[in-house]
Amino acid sequence: MSQSPVMERRSPDTGVGGRGPAEAAFIRIDGARKVFTQRSGGAVPVLDNVDLAIAENEFVSFIGRSGCGKTTLLNMIAGLEDVSAGRIAIAGKVVTGPGQGQGVVFQQHALFPWLTAVDNVAFGFRKSGLAKAERCRRALELLSLVGLDAAAGRYPREMSGGMQQRVSIARALALDPQILLMDEPFGALDELTRIELQQELLRIWEARRKTIVFVTHSISEALTLSDRIVLLASNPGRIKRIFPVDLPRPRLRTDPGFNALYQAIWNELST
Amino acid sequence: MKPLSRLSAASDLTLGLIGAFLAVAAWEISARTGLVDPAIFPSPSLAIRAAAERLTAETVADNLFWSLLRVFSGFLLGALAGAAVGIAAGWYRGFGALARPLIELLRPIPPLAWIPLAIIWFGLGEPSKFFIIFLGAFFPVVTAAYQGMRSIDPMLLKAAQTFGLSGVPLLLRVAVPAAAPDLATGVRIGWGLSFGVLVAAELIAADRGLGYMIINERNTGGSVGVIVVGILLIGALNLITDAAIGAAIKRWIGRWHGA
Repeated sequence: MSQSPVMERRSPDTGVGGRGPAEAAFIRIDGARKVFTQRSGGAVPVLDNVDLAIAENEFVSFIGRSGCGKTTLLNMIAGLEDVSAGRIAIAGKVVTGPGQGQGVVFQQHALFPWLTAVDNVAFGFRKSGLAKAERCRRALELLSLVGLDAAAGRYPREMSGGMQQRVSIARALALDPQILLMDEPFGALDELTRIELQQELLRIWEARRKTIVFVTHSISEALTLSDRIVLLASNPGRIKRIFPVDLPRPRLRTDPGFNALYQAIWNELST
Repeated sequence: MKPLSRLSAASDLTLGLIGAFLAVAAWEISARTGLVDPAIFPSPSLAIRAAAERLTAETVADNLFWSLLRVFSGFLLGALAGAAVGIAAGWYRGFGALARPLIELLRPIPPLAWIPLAIIWFGLGEPSKFFIIFLGAFFPVVTAAYQGMRSIDPMLLKAAQTFGLSGVPLLLRVAVPAAAPDLATGVRIGWGLSFGVLVAAELIAADRGLGYMIINERNTGGSVGVIVVGILLIGALNLITDAAIGAAIKRWIGRWHGA
């Protein structure tokens, strides 16, 4: 398993990778910029000229130091934040807001504390026009997909952090989104729970065929999960390098290819 | 962990009851031994006997009814108006900027300071009391509702937006429930203030109600015992209603909020 782990960043037109050459760009980011205007009137560039193409069913991670704009980029794909310049399109349609097939899982504390697990998931069906009983039935189905059938009646504060994130994933899946956008979803969990949920996520990804964009601080998490790792640099946020991860799954941390890539990403991050 | 906390909760209650018993006993003894003059501060047993002689159940029930009617209606409208204004001010920036300075300007005025104006505007009848009690509930609730709205975790709103919620549905389905714990605190404080304001208003300007009952006893040179019993009755009524509201709040948000 020896291969050259580091590749040059490809141009956006050919930047689709992972699963064979025939796949077209599903999420397309062209010259996206983000500028935050301060109250004093000053403008802070957060993201500068980002080009990226993500294929359907691809698993892409964004990695980078705090403040590199990776969460902002994710929110822009989610339609939760405007693009200051450039454009982002999903399946050819320009993103103008949430609800265009993007499901989002946030870091933590994003479940509605006044709703039980099953009602939190059922909330995802609010716009579906389904009858209440049917929403409830499907919510329970999704809870069992994430292994939480037994906790359906619990409120978020009665669940562990890992359970809460499982519910968050189930809720995001309620819309049957084509894209799952995940903002450090396992960042606040302990190591064991984290590894468990990573495996769970890969299982769901395989079973449901989603395009996943995953923001993380952890190199090994990105390596365990992704087809490609997009490394962002700060001031202003921009894509520094893209690492394809052509390692077979399940990936082992002891694998030499894994280690070589880890080292390469670490070197790039720390310079 | 659990048995220990339950044990200490039980022993806290026991200690509290012992404390209350000791105070009543000390009161009874000091009145009987002549340590305090029974004419100005009668013993509990004497006070109850005097009240039983001078007050019919009908009188007490009638005054109780009027006090409760006033405080409930004034509080209900004050709390509803406070919640509506506070939620709107927290949600709609423009309205908040418009209304908040006015609210902050009026809020420090004690509701009782409005009494002379209330009498001029509404006369001595029910509307003036209603107005004062309304104010007692309005300001704590409006403040708490506003604070609650301003401190909603933006993550919850974002999460709801990813499901296509916006505008009024986002406000009603997400923002208001998220602000409910703060709102509940305001409601409870508002109830206490409404109740306090009620009795004061009845002392000053009323011809029925518990406040009137005790001040009338004083003005007609009746029994101090009736006044003492009346005071305790007002305290007990506030205690019970506050506990009822507390229990209702706990039912409402206790399980998910852990209040």
